[in-house]
Amino acid sequence: MKPMNKLSRREFLAAAGAAASVPYFVPANVLARANRPGANERIVTAHIGVGGMGGHHLNDMKDRMNKGEVSIASVCDVDENRLAKAVMTAGAGVTPYRDYRYVLQRKDVDAVVIATPDHWHGVQMVHAAECGKHVYVEKPACCTIEEGKAMMAAAKKNKVSVQVGSQGRSQPEAYLAHRYLANGNIGHINRVDCFHYPSPEDNNPVPDSDPPEELDWDLWLGPLRWRPYNQRYLHGVFRWLLESGGGQIRDRGAHVMSCAMWWMGADGTGPVTIEATGTSPKQGLWDSAVLMDVTYTFKNPDWVMTWRQMPNDQLPKAEERTGNEPGGKISRPGYGAIYRGTKGEFIHWGGDGGTWAEKKAREWKPGPGAKEVYKSPGHKEDWFEGIKTGKKTIMNIDAAVGVANLTILGNLSFILGRKIQWDQKKQEIVGDEQAHRMMSRPQRHPYHL
Amino acid sequence: MSKNDPVAGAAVGAVRTKAVADLIEKIKDSSPDVRTKAWLGAGEAGWPAVSSLAEVMTDENLEVARAAKRALWKIVRHAGRPGADQERQSVAVHLSSLLADDRPVAVRREALWMLSEIGEKELIKPIAGLLTNKELREDARMVLERIGDKASVAALEAGFKTAPEDFKLNLAQSIRKRGKKVRGYECVKLVPTKQTAVKTLPK
Repeated sequence: MKPMNKLSRREFLAAAGAAASVPYFVPANVLARANRPGANERIVTAHIGVGGMGGHHLNDMKDRMNKGEVSIASVCDVDENRLAKAVMTAGAGVTPYRDYRYVLQRKDVDAVVIATPDHWHGVQMVHAAECGKHVYVEKPACCTIEEGKAMMAAAKKNKVSVQVGSQGRSQPEAYLAHRYLANGNIGHINRVDCFHYPSPEDNNPVPDSDPPEELDWDLWLGPLRWRPYNQRYLHGVFRWLLESGGGQIRDRGAHVMSCAMWWMGADGTGPVTIEATGTSPKQGLWDSAVLMDVTYTFKNPDWVMTWRQMPNDQLPKAEERTGNEPGGKISRPGYGAIYRGTKGEFIHWGGDGGTWAEKKAREWKPGPGAKEVYKSPGHKEDWFEGIKTGKKTIMNIDAAVGVANLTILGNLSFILGRKIQWDQKKQEIVGDEQAHRMMSRPQRHPYHL
Repeated sequence: MSKNDPVAGAAVGAVRTKAVADLIEKIKDSSPDVRTKAWLGAGEAGWPAVSSLAEVMTDENLEVARAAKRALWKIVRHAGRPGADQERQSVAVHLSSLLADDRPVAVRREALWMLSEIGEKELIKPIAGLLTNKELREDARMVLERIGDKASVAALEAGFKTAPEDFKLNLAQSIRKRGKKVRGYECVKLVPTKQTAVKTLPK
């Protein structure tokens, strides 16, 4: 292709339009100012991690590609079976890779969607930013405090748009809940109690073994310290290991607490103390808390957030619905949060792709002078807008790291069996040398920040 | 009790021995409930239990071995609490004895990571000694990276000087991470190396 920097944008479009056989597939960063595609250009994406949520993102992006919104350049996975399936989904001409660093080398890729296991999020997001790619990275943003700091710094330094996959913020009923709470309908909120059903226990532990032929175990482990393969690490079940997934608190906590921080106007703030207790699995490889109670104490303003993994029979009863509500019927009633204010309470269920607000918030009509809150056009749409305009995304990396830190600190307190003091300004644990060391986790060469 | 009172000292020793034996018995129990309760409560067993638990970490019953490992971690997390310097140092010293050549690699590796949380300057030498052990050198490197003492940086730099070529990049990474410059051996974190056999679908 002729070097585009010799043509003005107008000249190029005229030339492209004149050539009827030339498809509108232009490496967006060729045209745009400093790695930002123009408003009417397709964003060229690549997908790193294509199983589980990664498969969902790929399907979603394929639909968008069919509508002419984006182009998919490549797919990447450390599992050859998953990769082969992704190639079939993505279609002709999409290049498969095992090693995500090949993806980052491609000049034609504007943005990457990272949906690998959690222990890869920090490293891959930082590397992508360093290569000038915009990033959609699955939640939780990070597994350690150090990763979070590096992610925020990399996004800022490289001026890339990052959206973290706590998509609850972008749901229609999340907007209604936010608007309802922000307008003081339950008064001053001084407590948010998040609830969730327990993390599972491994009822079928198996010994270590050789990894399956299709899996690159070294790349799956990535930054984690080396250990023999065990089939109870993957796929999906990595969530139940503290190192790689962090349990329900780091998985769904990154959704439910994301809504809480957003609706409380608390992004950019953090607790002063974190105290957790919980129960542990009785057998098997998984080690995340089964039941759990975490208390986060915030100061100036003073409020408390709790995270509780409780037995199923103690969960709040889900609201009955017709299915005609903006979010439809509640399909996942096992998690959410209760907001307690000086004038009443409010409850929501879910907090991820399904976020369901209590009826009174859905039916509340704002009067004159009511405070308006941001209404996301959709989580991906919000990201695309961020890519094209530089606008802060709804779940930007700073906000997402703040939420991930809550989950990390909760787990640290659980692991250590003691209360933790947190300095939000310095982003540091204070008064506890061991906990302070655990803010970071040395990473295996060469898979490091 | 006086530290020099041999009778009292023996009595304390006997109590400790009994407590450790009880703990080990429960860790080896066939019931998951008993094992779990034992490892969850192991924190206060402290340094006297370190060596015995390490022995059980390689038990042929995987769940017993796992319970022993988790008990040892509980001891490390308990000993690392603020204000327990003496207890932490005692546990760390006993953990360092698990780094010896005659211990199984899995035990040595776990002990290294335990020391990454509570080890200090005095234990850098035995950890750094493992930088020449092909099976454990990468763990030893990471552990030294984590221990925030100038001596650990010095150990990494000393290791770098004598390391074989295939390990110099790893050490260079840690030295840079600790804020020191390294000549040559540039960072390769963005250099792809792994190929897939999956093919692109033709257009």
